[in-house]
Amino acid sequence: MNTAALLGPCHPDRALAWENGHPITYRRFLSEVATLADQLPEKPTVINLADNRYRFLVGLAAALVRGQTTLLPPSRAPRALVQIAREYGNSYCLAVDQETIEGLPTCHIPKGEWSATQHARVPQIPVDHTAVVAFTSGSTGSPRPNPKAWGSLVAVARSTGARLGLKASNHLTVVATVPHQHMYGLEATIMLPIQHGMAFHVGRPLFPEDVRLALTEVPSPRFLVTTPLHIRACVTACTRLPQMECILSATAPLPISLAKKAETLFQTGVYEVYGFTEAGSLATRRTVADETWHVLDGITLHHESGRCFLRAPYLPEPVLFPDLVSLQGPHRFVLHSRGADLVNIGGHRISLGDLNHKLNEIEGVQDGVFFLPDDTGTSVTRLMAFAVAPGKSTEQILSALRDVIDPVFLPRPLHVVPNLPRNETGKLTREALLGLLRERHGLDRHGA
Amino acid sequence: MSDKSSLEAEVAKLIVQTLNLKIDPVQIQPEQPLFGEGLGLDSIDALELSLAISQSYGYQIRSDDSDAVATFASLRSLCKSIEKNRTK
Repeated sequence: MNTAALLGPCHPDRALAWENGHPITYRRFLSEVATLADQLPEKPTVINLADNRYRFLVGLAAALVRGQTTLLPPSRAPRALVQIAREYGNSYCLAVDQETIEGLPTCHIPKGEWSATQHARVPQIPVDHTAVVAFTSGSTGSPRPNPKAWGSLVAVARSTGARLGLKASNHLTVVATVPHQHMYGLEATIMLPIQHGMAFHVGRPLFPEDVRLALTEVPSPRFLVTTPLHIRACVTACTRLPQMECILSATAPLPISLAKKAETLFQTGVYEVYGFTEAGSLATRRTVADETWHVLDGITLHHESGRCFLRAPYLPEPVLFPDLVSLQGPHRFVLHSRGADLVNIGGHRISLGDLNHKLNEIEGVQDGVFFLPDDTGTSVTRLMAFAVAPGKSTEQILSALRDVIDPVFLPRPLHVVPNLPRNETGKLTREALLGLLRERHGLDRHGA
Repeated sequence: MSDKSSLEAEVAKLIVQTLNLKIDPVQIQPEQPLFGEGLGLDSIDALELSLAISQSYGYQIRSDDSDAVATFASLRSLCKSIEKNRTK
């Protein structure tokens, strides 16, 4: 059986994680994983709710040791969790605190029980074991599962690390503003560190001042994993961040002007990684130097019937790009725009079809549509929606939506209208929706 | 309905302007929750709002302030924190 080690080259007495300024060693981690693995219930799938990055990793690793698969729900909205739990009925949930999921048994990740004398053996995991299932928003309304084999997670981590020049002797520590329950966070803040003997900060700083404090809590050299949104916040606030080796950004394109400002202000290189759930991270660029993306080693790109696909040794079949790209040979590409159905709000991606489906499923909603207005260039552009729902108030519809989607996708505003301007074929054009919007604004101004 | 202080009226205006909300600032009740069921704000808004507050009042909000959750609970609690920490 082909296996790959849970950890890359590392020293057992070096830090894997930093919590409140204290190191947690690789030795202690291996001991905690062995202890928890013995306690896990005999079930095939698990939803790991731990917000603490280290506790999450202990749970993930213990599940791997037991041959279990960790499900990464697309959102923490209560109904989204229940939906996944229903589809994977024989699951349990791993939690640090009191959080639970209705209908699922809970197993708690213990805090800090370990034995220093326990032998620090690094587990070997079969490469074809489904380590995690990430879910993407499909146009049908139900999340589409994307199983990830352990071998593919390791391969992506190694090729990303090779591109960024990471190795155990660098002793880098990651501080991340992104959640570890999404693919980018899992790859860049969990897999990248454990495969390269690095360390990470257990928290997830939000405000610029949080980012500064988290960075000062860990030793140099530091590596910041973040998004354009957080970079813009730190640049705008002129936060005096400690010396960093490198900043890595993903989830949305980073404007070159912002990358330039960040490089000057923070005196470090700003790199971007591009990927999507179906394929994982697949290309990088240094934003200030190059508009072109360079694919990771082992990946090749090709066109077929006007569409762009990528191949990688760890992907069972070629994967279609969800975004519009133009190829510059088999290893480089330029990104043009996101696919028409996909929207990106502050780094969170969702399918408009999925949102429309969820809106129309709400009791009392007869017809409804989401749309993204033109970018005004000021703050993050938010979605809007129209709904035909006699007898329902906007508050009632918003409350029902809040139950099923992430708050970042809630419409601002939601207009309840008598009908939607569908054309004779039943289609709603963008022009018609913009016209309806102007009409609503006119009514609002006149106090109607 | 409780009356707003002048700082509360000012910050309500800042919230509406910064987040491009389609509501009248006077509609924000001082004790109404800013997140979730109340005004429906999220972490992206919190980030935008923290920048506007640092620019207007010189107060760098952080989430590990012992009363971080309380800070953003409502317009009133936010204004109390601004009052306590403002440098301009």
